Amino acid sequence: MIGLSLKGIHKDFGSVRAVETTDLDFAEGELTALLGPSGCGKTTLLRMIAGLEDPSGGAIRLGERDITALPAHKRRFGMVFQSFALFPHLSVRENVVYSLVISGTSKQDAMDTGERLLDLVQLKEFGDRRIGELSGGQRQRVAIARALAQEPDVFLLDEPMSALDAKLREDMQVELRLLQQRLGITTIVVTHDQREAMTMADKIVVMSRGKVEQVGPPQDIYHRPANAFVADFIGKANFYDGVVEKGGVRVADTVLTRDPPAGFINGSDVRIACRPETPYLDSNDANGTRIKAKVTFVRDVGPARDIHLETEIGPMIVEYARGENQRDYVVGQETIVTLPTDGLHVFAKPGWAAE
Amino acid sequence: MSVTSPAETAARTPFLKPLIWALILFLCVTPFLLIFAVSFGHKIEGASWEWGFSFANYQRVFVGASWPDEITFLYLQKLYYSLYYAVIASVLAVLTAFPFTYLMTGLSRRAQSAWLVFILASLSLSEVFIVMGWDVLLSNRSGLPMVFKETGLTAWLKEVGWFDTLREWGLANPRNVKFKTSVFATVLTMAYLVWPYAVILLYPPLSRLDRSMVEAAQTMGAGPGTVMRTVILPSVRLPLAGAILLLFVFLLGVYVAVTVFAEPAKQTMAVSVYEAVRGNTLNAPFGAAQAVVLLITAGIFLVLGQWLSRRGTS
Amino acid sequence: MILRVLSRLFLALSAIMVALPIIVVCGAALNSGRTMFFPPKDPTFARFHEFFVTETVWVKALSNSILIAFASAALAVLIAWPLAYWLWSRGSRASAILAGLGSMPFALPPIVFGVGLSFLWTFLGALGAIWAGVVSHAALFLALPIVTISIGLQSIDRAHLDAAATMGATPAVTFRTVILPQTIPYTVSGFFFALVLSFNEFIVMFFVSASSYSTVTLQIFNSLRNGYTPTMAVAAITFIAVSLAVFSAVARWGDLPRLMGAEPAKT
Repeated sequence: MIGLSLKGIHKDFGSVRAVETTDLDFAEGELTALLGPSGCGKTTLLRMIAGLEDPSGGAIRLGERDITALPAHKRRFGMVFQSFALFPHLSVRENVVYSLVISGTSKQDAMDTGERLLDLVQLKEFGDRRIGELSGGQRQRVAIARALAQEPDVFLLDEPMSALDAKLREDMQVELRLLQQRLGITTIVVTHDQREAMTMADKIVVMSRGKVEQVGPPQDIYHRPANAFVADFIGKANFYDGVVEKGGVRVADTVLTRDPPAGFINGSDVRIACRPETPYLDSNDANGTRIKAKVTFVRDVGPARDIHLETEIGPMIVEYARGENQRDYVVGQETIVTLPTDGLHVFAKPGWAAE
Repeated sequence: MSVTSPAETAARTPFLKPLIWALILFLCVTPFLLIFAVSFGHKIEGASWEWGFSFANYQRVFVGASWPDEITFLYLQKLYYSLYYAVIASVLAVLTAFPFTYLMTGLSRRAQSAWLVFILASLSLSEVFIVMGWDVLLSNRSGLPMVFKETGLTAWLKEVGWFDTLREWGLANPRNVKFKTSVFATVLTMAYLVWPYAVILLYPPLSRLDRSMVEAAQTMGAGPGTVMRTVILPSVRLPLAGAILLLFVFLLGVYVAVTVFAEPAKQTMAVSVYEAVRGNTLNAPFGAAQAVVLLITAGIFLVLGQWLSRRGTS
Repeated sequence: MILRVLSRLFLALSAIMVALPIIVVCGAALNSGRTMFFPPKDPTFARFHEFFVTETVWVKALSNSILIAFASAALAVLIAWPLAYWLWSRGSRASAILAGLGSMPFALPPIVFGVGLSFLWTFLGALGAIWAGVVSHAALFLALPIVTISIGLQSIDRAHLDAAATMGATPAVTFRTVILPQTIPYTVSGFFFALVLSFNEFIVMFFVSASSYSTVTLQIFNSLRNGYTPTMAVAAITFIAVSLAVFSAVARWGDLPRLMGAEPAKT
C-alpha cells in the first residue's frame, strides 16, 4: 500500500508555530480534506507535503520511503493552486504536458497523454487556446489535468474552488470527486468550506490554530464533533453554557436531560451544542426536555425553514426540511420545543477555548 | 520559499557574481572616484596635468586663485546660476506636468499608452535637437520674433507701452522682441527638456491614485477645486516634491541649452566643467574640482528626492 | 461639462507645446538651401538624400550611432539581468547596493560621468576607441534595463514557480521555462529604452570619443556654433521617427502603462 504518512511534523515561522506537531495518515486512493478557517495552518501543511516548505521537524513517508528531505521537483506530487498558476506564455496543451516535456518524454508520448487528459477534463477542443481565453471553470480543469499529467503518487489541491463562482463550485466538487474515484489517486484537498469538504472527502481533518482538532469520516465529524470548535465550524449549532447535574445539564433554571448521561462529574462547567435540525416543535411523541419558546423570526429559503425562537435557556434556531412539519409559524407565536436526549453534544469548557 | 534557490544558481555560475561586482565597481564607481582623485592634482603647461594633493583647485572654485590677496566668487556665481536655472525650470516643469499627468491618467489604458509613446519619444529626443528647435523658434531672424513683427504684435506692444517693460527685462532690442540670449529662453528650454521626465515621474503616483476617493469627496459636496486641494494634492505631495528634486539634479548637468541661450555672464558650472576639461582653458584638475562640487550638490538633492519619492509611494 | 472641455483643451495645448519645436525642425528639413528657415523655402527632399546617402560624414556618423546604440543596449541588458535577478530572488542588502551603484551614472549629471569616464579611458589608453564608447553608454543606461527587468520579475506569480517545482522542474528548468519567457517583453523594453537613449545621448559620448569618431548627435553638437543646416533637421526627423517607432512597438507588445509604474491592468 502506498499511502502517505506524517510523523511529528511541525512548522515554525520565527517564534510563531504555524503547524503544531501533527501525525496523520493518508490512505491510498482516499480523498482527505484539510478543513479549517483561514490561518489555521492547513495550507502550510499541504505545502510541506508538496515539498514547497521545509518542516521544522518530523518526517514525511510515502509508503516505506522517507521523503522529508526530498525537494518538490523530485517528489512530483501534482498540485492545483488556489490561483491555478497556469503559465500565461504557454497554450492549454503546453501547460498540460509541461511536466512531461521537461522530463524528456518523447514528443509523441507527451502529445498522446495531453490529448487523453484534455479529453478527461472535457477540454478536447481547447488545446491550442491561450490561458487568458479560458473561463474560471476551464482554467481549473486545465490545472487539474496539468497536475495529473505526471501520474503523481499524491494529488494535492489548495483551495481549488475559491476562484470559482458559487454555482460552478458545487458542480465542480462533484465532478472532481468522481474523477478522483475513477483514477483511485491519493488526494489531499485544502478548503475552508465545510460543504465542499463533506461533498468530496472520505476523511476530514479539521484544523484550527495550527492544530488538528478532529480526524474522521464526514458524517462522524458532523454527528459526533470532538469539541465545541468542530461543532461550531462544521454545520450550524445552538450553543448554551451550563453545569452538569445528575447526568443532565442545567442551563439557567432548566435541566436538560441527556441519554446516555454526560461523562462529567456533577458541578463541572460545560458547553452544550445542539444541531438546529434535532429539536422538535409542538411534538407530543418526541422524547426529551420540553421548553417554552416564542417565535421571533422565520426564514423560509425553500427546501428548508429556520424558525428562530426565544426560549427559557436562550435563543435557539430550529430547522425543518420542507414537508417535515406542516404547521405554520408566525412571529410572536407561543410554542413548545423538545430537545431530544440524544441530540445534545456536551463539551468541557476548555475545549471551547479553541474559538 | 522560492524554488529558484539562489544558492543553486550561484553554485552553477560561481564566477558570475564577482564578475558583475567588478564590472559595476569599475564602470559605475571608478569614474567618479577618478574625478575626485584628479581634482587634487594640478595643471602643467602644455595642456596636461599631473597627480598631486593640494586644495588649490577647490580654493579657486570657492574664493578665487589669488586668495587671500584678492577674493572672487566667479565660480560660485556659476554654481549659483546652475541652481537658479535648475530651480525655476524644474518647478515650472512639474507645475505644468502635474495637471497634464492627472488628466492623462484619467483616460483609458489605450489612450494612456498612446500618450506615453508621445511623451517617451519627446523624452528621449536629444538635447541637441531640442535646442535646435527652440533656437530656430526663438532666433532673431526667424521664428517667434518674426511672427511678432509680421503679425503686428510688436507694433501693438510698442503702442501700449509694454515693449519698454520687455526691454527692461532684456527681452527686446530697439526694433523687435528678442529671446536670445535671455534667462527666459534658457529656463523655457530647460523646462521643456525635463517636462516629459516630470510626466513620467508623476505618472506612477497619479495613476495609482484611487479615483473613487475623488468621487467620494464629490458625493460629500466637494467641488473640483476643493477635491484638488483636500484630496489629490495631499496624497501626491511627496512624489511632487520628489519629482522637482530629481529634475533639479538632472538640470544641474545641462550643457547645450545654457551655452546657446544664456548670456555669457550667466553661464553655469556644467559649462565651466566642459570648458576646463575639453574647451579652451584645458585644466582637467580644475574641471574635476568643479565636477566634484557639482556632484556633491547633485548627490545631496538626489538623496533628498529619492527619500521623498519613496515616502510618497510607500 | 465645461470642465471636460477645459481638460481636453489643456491636454491638446500641452501636446502642441511639446510638438512645437519638433514640428519646426521637421519643417526646416525641407529647405532647399543651406540655411534653416521656417517655414521652409522651396520645399525639397534633397536633404534626406544627402543625409542617408551622399554626405559621407553623416552616413558614417549614423552608422556609428546605430552600432553604439545596439551594442551598448545589448551589453546593458546582459549586465542588468543577473543584477535584477539577484535583487528579486534574494533581495539582500548587497544586491540592493549593487543595483544602486549600477543606477548611479544615470541619476547623476551626465557631464560629470562623462568627465570621469574620459579620465578612466585615458588611463587605460582606450580613449577614442569605439568599444570604449559602447561600454560607456552601457554603464550610463544600465539603470533602464535593471528597472524594466525588475518590474518583469516582480510581475511573475510566485505560485508559478511552486507549480513548476511540483511538476518536476529543477530551479534551472524553472528559470528557462517559466521565468525567462515571462520576462522577455520586459527585457526587450529595457533594451529599447537603452537603445533609444544611447542613440540620442551626446555629452558622455563627446568626452569618451575625444573627437576620434563621431555620432549623429555629436556631429550636430560639434557644428552647433557654425549654424544649422537643413541636413541636421533631417537627422532630427530620423531620430524622432526611430523613437516613435520603438516606443510604439513597446506599447504594442508590452504593457507600457505598467512599465511606467501604473497598476497591472485588470483582465
